[in-house]
Amino acid sequence: MVIAVIVVVCLVAGLIFFAGGTLGLLRFPDFYTRLHPAGKLDTSGALLVLLGLAVYQLFPLTLGSVLTGLKLMLIVVFIFLASPTATHAIVDAGFRAGLESWKKGDPRR
Amino acid sequence: MKNLGLLIVVLVGAVLIYATTDFPPFGDPESPASLHVSPRYLENSLEETAVPNVVTSVLVDYRGLDTMFETTVVFAAGVACFLLLRVPRRRTPAPRQYRHRLTGLTFRIKDGGEISLPLQEFEPMESIWTPHDFIIEKVCCYLIPFIQLFGLFVIAHGHHSPGGGFQGGVILGASIILLSLSHDLRTALKRMGEKTSALFSTFGVLIYAGTGALCLLLGYNFLDYQALDPLLPGGPVMARYHGILLVEVGVGMAVMGTMIWIFRNLASRGRHEEGL
Repeated sequence: MVIAVIVVVCLVAGLIFFAGGTLGLLRFPDFYTRLHPAGKLDTSGALLVLLGLAVYQLFPLTLGSVLTGLKLMLIVVFIFLASPTATHAIVDAGFRAGLESWKKGDPRR
Repeated sequence: MKNLGLLIVVLVGAVLIYATTDFPPFGDPESPASLHVSPRYLENSLEETAVPNVVTSVLVDYRGLDTMFETTVVFAAGVACFLLLRVPRRRTPAPRQYRHRLTGLTFRIKDGGEISLPLQEFEPMESIWTPHDFIIEKVCCYLIPFIQLFGLFVIAHGHHSPGGGFQGGVILGASIILLSLSHDLRTALKRMGEKTSALFSTFGVLIYAGTGALCLLLGYNFLDYQALDPLLPGGPVMARYHGILLVEVGVGMAVMGTMIWIFRNLASRGRHEEGL
């Protein structure tokens, strides 16, 4: 019962993060601001969803289920390293290419 | 002319849609596809090959010849890119740029010009050179070994879970491509030269076809891994299991080598000097 509550809270929180990220991707005015939700919210959303899945399949507790949970956590570690780095690389490329950042009052780009 | 094209498209579409009415219903157990060989594969795969993942046993054992030519197609794509794009030598000598390692000064050498300073103190520079980003470089340095380890895991674990030679080979190839994206082409070439990637590609296909030919030499059909029984431990069923693994390794090598080979030829327009 407690496990189910934890799992549902994790999954719902993860989905909220994903929904916020998608909304930001659609609504923010320019390249740099759009990368902000794409880099941050998707990473934390993936963390929460995968954490929920790992807890969900952990019971009954066997060696196999623990291993599967660990593998899911390894995916989280990978996403936490790769996603911010990729966002950084994209922002860097935009900055080097000379893209101006958006200021208040400018039209959406 | 445009209307004629539209007419043809509509007509062909109508014929195709009409033809779909002859299809058996979705999931019909009486349909030809689920009547003849599929039940046999599903029922006997575990006894005959000791591979729990039926996809792998069908792909590499029962339909091994098909997969061998798939691997050959991958190899042929690599060779085609090489033959079309590779420029053996610079046709028009262009000015080169060098950077002094210690001071960071850059030199531009005109066509045909020679550098008379000790060369090991200089590194060649690309014309579209951008300073390396510390974060990207370091993160990729730490990630690439684990990506490669995961690629090997996917190849070796194809018997029990989704995976196998093609998927694992793509992951291995992508790790080297990531190295050339995060650093530059020259660094990646230093780690794994053009010849190495071409040889990987060739030897992968050779391992696959060679396993088949070995079966032939041992008196069985082409790609009938049962023939490998005297060479491998564990009896005829395990011989098929190990034969599948051997072939998967070949597929992985071929896919990895070809991916890297194609990427380099495309990214540097066949020059292998500059590029991503």
